[in-house]
Parts: sequence; C-alpha cells; structure tokens
Amino acid sequence: MVPPQYYLLLAAAVFCIGVFGLLTRRNALLFLMSVELMLNAANINLVAFSYYWGNVTGQTFGLFTMALAAAEVAIGIGIILVLYRNFNEIDVTEATTMRW
Amino acid sequence: MAGIFDFAPAIVLLPFLSFLIALGTALSGRDLLPKGGAIPGIAATAGSLVLSIAMAAAVAGGEVYDETIYAWAAGSVPGSEGLELTFGVLIDPLSTMMLVIVTLVALLVHVFSLGYMNDDGETGLPRYYAGLGLFTASMLGFVVADNLLMAFMFFELVGLCSYLLIGFHFREPGPPSAAKKAFLVTRFGDYFFLVGVVAVFATFGTAQFVGTEAAPGFPVLAEQALAGEFTANTFLGLGPQAWFTVVGLLVLGGVIGKSAQFPLHTWLPDAMEGPTPVSALIHAATMVAAGVYLVARMYGFYAVSPTALGVIALVGGFTALFAGTMGIVKRELKQVLAYSTISQYGYMMLALGAGGYVAATFHLLTHAFFKALLFLGAGSVILAMHHNENMWDMGGLKDKMPVTYYSFLAGSLALAGIFPFAGFWSKDEILYYSLTHGLAGQPLLLLGYVFGLLAVPVTAFYTFRMVFLTFHGDARTEEAESPESVRWNVKGPLAVLGVLATVAGAVNLAPVRVLTGAHVDFLHAWLDGGFSDLTVHHYAEIDPYSSAYIGTELTTVLLGAAVSLGLALTGLALAYKLYAVPTPVEHTDKLGSVKDLLYDNYYQDEYQVYLANRVVLPVARAADTFDQGVVDGAVNAVSSVSLFSGSRIRRIQTGVVSNYAALVTLGLTALLVVFGVLGGWLL
Repeated sequence: MVPPQYYLLLAAAVFCIGVFGLLTRRNALLFLMSVELMLNAANINLVAFSYYWGNVTGQTFGLFTMALAAAEVAIGIGIILVLYRNFNEIDVTEATTMRW
Repeated sequence: MAGIFDFAPAIVLLPFLSFLIALGTALSGRDLLPKGGAIPGIAATAGSLVLSIAMAAAVAGGEVYDETIYAWAAGSVPGSEGLELTFGVLIDPLSTMMLVIVTLVALLVHVFSLGYMNDDGETGLPRYYAGLGLFTASMLGFVVADNLLMAFMFFELVGLCSYLLIGFHFREPGPPSAAKKAFLVTRFGDYFFLVGVVAVFATFGTAQFVGTEAAPGFPVLAEQALAGEFTANTFLGLGPQAWFTVVGLLVLGGVIGKSAQFPLHTWLPDAMEGPTPVSALIHAATMVAAGVYLVARMYGFYAVSPTALGVIALVGGFTALFAGTMGIVKRELKQVLAYSTISQYGYMMLALGAGGYVAATFHLLTHAFFKALLFLGAGSVILAMHHNENMWDMGGLKDKMPVTYYSFLAGSLALAGIFPFAGFWSKDEILYYSLTHGLAGQPLLLLGYVFGLLAVPVTAFYTFRMVFLTFHGDARTEEAESPESVRWNVKGPLAVLGVLATVAGAVNLAPVRVLTGAHVDFLHAWLDGGFSDLTVHHYAEIDPYSSAYIGTELTTVLLGAAVSLGLALTGLALAYKLYAVPTPVEHTDKLGSVKDLLYDNYYQDEYQVYLANRVVLPVARAADTFDQGVVDGAVNAVSSVSLFSGSRIRRIQTGVVSNYAALVTLGLTALLVVFGVLGGWLL
C-alpha cells in the first residue's frame, strides 16, 4: 500500500499548478482549466483518505465533486461566451467594467 | 340597551358625510349636484339638529351618556400602563345645549348660503360646502368629546376649517393672508393647549372629563388631590395647587387663541375676509365659541384654582372693554361686528372667571343667536349693496329691506343689552356675578366688573352707530338708493334668528326669580342636572367665591340691572343723537389722535409683527445655527469617517479577476499561516 503522504504531495502539486495558472494566465479558458486542476487536487485528497481509512464515503464525495465540476464548467463556458460577445476577446484583465 | 344615545355619533358623522359628498363633487370638477352641493349639507345639519333635539329631550328626562367609542392607543411602555387614548361621546346638559346651538346655526347658515353664495353666482361652491360640512362636523365632534385629547384634535380641525373657509376667495390678495393669520395666531395658543393636554395626562393619567366612579375624570381627581385623597404627579417642584394653576393656564392658551381674547384677538377682525355666512358660523356658533365652551366643559378643573379663575376674569373683562373701544371707529359693517364678537366673548370669559358658570353658558347661547343674526343681516345688506361693506356708503336701507332691518334691529338691541332682549338677561347676569362675588373680597373680579360695566355703553354706542349709519338717514350712494332684493333663503334664517334673539333670554330669567320667587331660571336648572360632578351647585361648592350684596339680594339685582341698562341706554341715546340724522358726519374725527389709535387697533398687529421679526426670528435663526452646526455637525462628523474610509477601501475593487484571485490566494495563505502558528506545527 502506497503511504498517504505521496497522495498528499501529488494533490498539493496539482493544486499549486492550478493556483499558478490562475494567478498568471489571462485567458479565461485557461482559468477554467486551472480551477479544474484545483478541484481535482481536492478529489485526490478525498479518495486517498477514503482509501486510507477504508471508508467509501470519501470516494462518494469525489463523485459529487466531479458532478459539481461538470456543472461549473458548463456555467463557466457560458460566462466565457458572454464575455466574448461583449468584449470580443476572452482576456480577463480587459473586462474591468464591474469596478468602483 | 339600544337607546337614542346610540345615535349620538351620527350627529357628528352626518355633516362629515355631507363634507365627503361635497368633496367628491369638488374633486370630480363637474356639476354633479344641484345647488353646488348645498342640499346634502342642509339635509345633514337638519338631521343633526333633529338628533340633537332628541338628545336634549332625553337629557331633560334625566338621562346622561358617557361612552368610549374607540380606543386608538393604549399604554404599553413601562410607566404608562392604564393610559388609553380614546374617542368618546359625552352627552350631558351642557353638550346638548351646545349641540342644539351649533346644529341650528349651521343649518341656518347653510340655508343662508343658498342666497349669499349660490344666487350671487359664486364659483367653487362644492369646495365651499365641503368646508362648511367639515367645519360643522369638527365643531360637533369637539362639543361631544369626552376627553381633553379628543377635544384638542377637533379643536385643531376647527382651526384648519377656518383656514380653508376664510381663504375661500384665494385668488384675491386679502383672504389668503387673513386665513394664514387666523391659522398661525390660533396655532400659537394651541401650542400651549397641547402642552397642557400632555400635562393633564402626565398629572392624572387620564384626560376624561367625567370618567366613572372607579376612574373619575381629571377635574374630580384634581379636587381629590387638593383634599389629599389622591396623589397627582406634579412637576417643577410645585405643589398640587400651584401645578394645577399652571396646567389650567396652559390649556387657557388655546382658549385665548380660539376665543380671540387679548392679546391673541388680532386674527378675528381679519377673518372678516371670508364669505359672510362663514363669518356668522365662525363667530356665533363654532370656532370662537369653542374656547369658551372648553373652559365651561372642564370648569371643575378651573374652579379649584383661584389664580386661574382670576386670570380668566381679568383677561375677559379687559378684552370686553378693549375690543369694544375699537369697534367705535370702524367704517366697515363686518369690522364692527368682529370687534363686538371679541368683546362679547370677553364677557363670557369674565363670567367664567367670576364663577358665573350659568351666566357664561347663557351668554354663549344668546350670543350665538343674536350674533349669527347680525352677521347674516350684515350679509343680507352686503348682498344688497353689491359687496360694498362701508357703512358710510349705506344709509336709508330701513324702508327698502324691512325684514333685514327689523331682525337686525332685534339683534342689535340684544347685543346692546336692552331690556327685554336676550342679551340683556345674559349680560346682566354676568355683571351680577362678577359684582356679588367681587364684593366678597375679590378685587380682581371688581376690576373685571368695572371693565365689563364700562364696555356696556361702548357696546350700545357702536352697535347703534352701525344700525343708524346702515339703515337710517338718507341713502348716500346709488347702491343704497336701489339695493338688490334678497330672497326667502336670506329672509328665512333672519326671521328665525330674529325671533330667537328677542325671546332667548326667557330661558334664564334669574332676576325675575329673585323678584317673584317663581322658578323661571330654566337654564340654571338644566345645567344643574346630569353628572353630579358637573352640576352648577357642585361648581358653586368648589369654586373659591362667596357672595356679598349691596343691601339685600333683591336690591343688588335691581341696582345692577338698572345701572347696566342705564349705561346701555346712554350709549344708545348718544348714538341716536349723533348718527340718526339724514346726513351723519364722522363725529369720531373729534377724537383726534385717539381715533387713529383705535382705528389702528392700538397697534396690536404692529407690535406682534415687530415681536415676530425682532425677537422670534433671531431666536429661530440662532436655533437653526445650533441645529445645523452642533446637532447636524456631530451626525455629519460620524458619517464622514465612514465616507472617507469607504472611499479608500473601495479601491481594491478593481474589476480585474486576477487581482481577486490573488487576494483570495493571499487570504488562504495567511489563514494557513495563522492556523499553523496557533496550532504549533509551524515555527
């Protein structure tokens, strides 16, 4: 059995990649992908602990998270479409009309 | 028990209904009702009159009624338990008498308005009748009020209606200004009244006039407090006696404003700008009578305070003389009547202050009839003269308008106090009370008596100067040469009131009782019925006066009557000698600068305007500065802190998604670090 630290390290690495993408990219689609990475990092943690404790509840939650991620992507894509329609591009730093 | 008293609220509601109908017509802007909406008003006041007479009949049978109709607020704050603010109806001898007067005069004024307003082609009649209806309803509500707060509310409504009606011709310059003046001057008095109402609540926890055996009204509580049976809350460190005097004087402020007593009488002569029927209603039966009626209503409260009574008597006596002297020199018909009204209400206040409760209500009754008569007569003359009110343009109307002349003459004889017209009996009784009570060691009352006595010849003089100038001699203008004829709707009310002004004195022939021993002082007996704490003999027990006589009671009665009648006849004779000639001249010119002083009303308006401009305005300005600077300043300072910090902090809201993401990440990191440090597994 692989000790849980490895899973945790993997999850942390994936999460950090996601955060890095979120902070450095300007393309909205890449934003969406980064968020997916972060969600999946959390998923890895859920499944790993579930396996470690021998309890399937965590894995069930992993399934829920996937459904959630799918829904989030659907909405995210919709938002990006509207963004493109209004600003003719999907660079998130250009769409700054919602400010003080 | 379903009795006649269940219909008591209808007395108030009927005129209110006519108000609503007329208001609806006025708002629709179309000619929906015949006669411009007069018919509902006439029907409603006639209905109220019938009901009032039915009430009077029931009260004559020994029944009285005091019922709370609706409690619109009850105490829920600690310390105010048991405090209830209510609308109620109080039917007792005093209120039924007043109800009959008000409804009768209102009915006659409505009928008269048909002649004065409709036949004269006035516009805006639905608005006029709406005003009359609301005026009547408010006054009736005031009369039947069973507690001081309700009385105050209707008192204010009466003031509002007077504003609306005096300013009826709002497109001319005079009436709106007169209406504003009437509203503001009476409001100045009402301010004290309002404080007085709150003080009564704070002192006694109730403002009922009568109440019940278990929870008596405030006049009875005041009496008990002075006897040590009840503990009233007093304020300012005063004892009960002194505090009750203060409260009484506060309420008296409203009375002085409404009943046009010195120094708040200045609104009344200006109020003559309103249509003449309105003047009749205001000065005979409603607004001005409200003040005197209020004192009579809560007389038990004033009776326990000798100081308040003394002030009332002195103010009344002084006003009677003071206003009378101004009436001598006026040129307009209605102006003379206006000053006579102030003067006559002065007499009533004198009577109330002198312990003459019956005398005051008696004069209220007779005055309502003869003054309504005089105003309606003046209206008839003004109508015939094409709205010229200057008496110097009249003359010789006697033969051309006989109905108006003879009824006006009856009213004038009553006003002047000539035997046996109504005014003689009531005025004589007032003077009698102030004399006998004054002789028993009350110098203030004697002073009031002297004022009242001096006002008698003055009254007779200006009254008959008015009569002779208007009706006698030669016609001095073309209008007076051929006056326009008036119809039944003017003559009818005049005839009714003319009869009443002649015979109304018969309801209380107190001197005759003293002479013959026959019980002909019906009003006295009438007011001695009803609630035991509101009867005449109860008031006589608690008021501070006793009687002293010159010789016997009989000689005092005869002497007093002879002196006042003699003085009245002197004034009449002087007016006859000076003005009952074919071409009279302005004899008052011989008074020189005194005439100017009188004609300019002793410069009362001027000094009040001066006070307003030079005293009130700077004080108000200082208060405004304080309000703007200190009170608003503190609030603004607090809010400016929020405003400033908000304007800085809002800058993090850049609209760039990446920045938000960075902030969230930073926040998460910071949270992790904090948890790490606090959890002890970092550092």
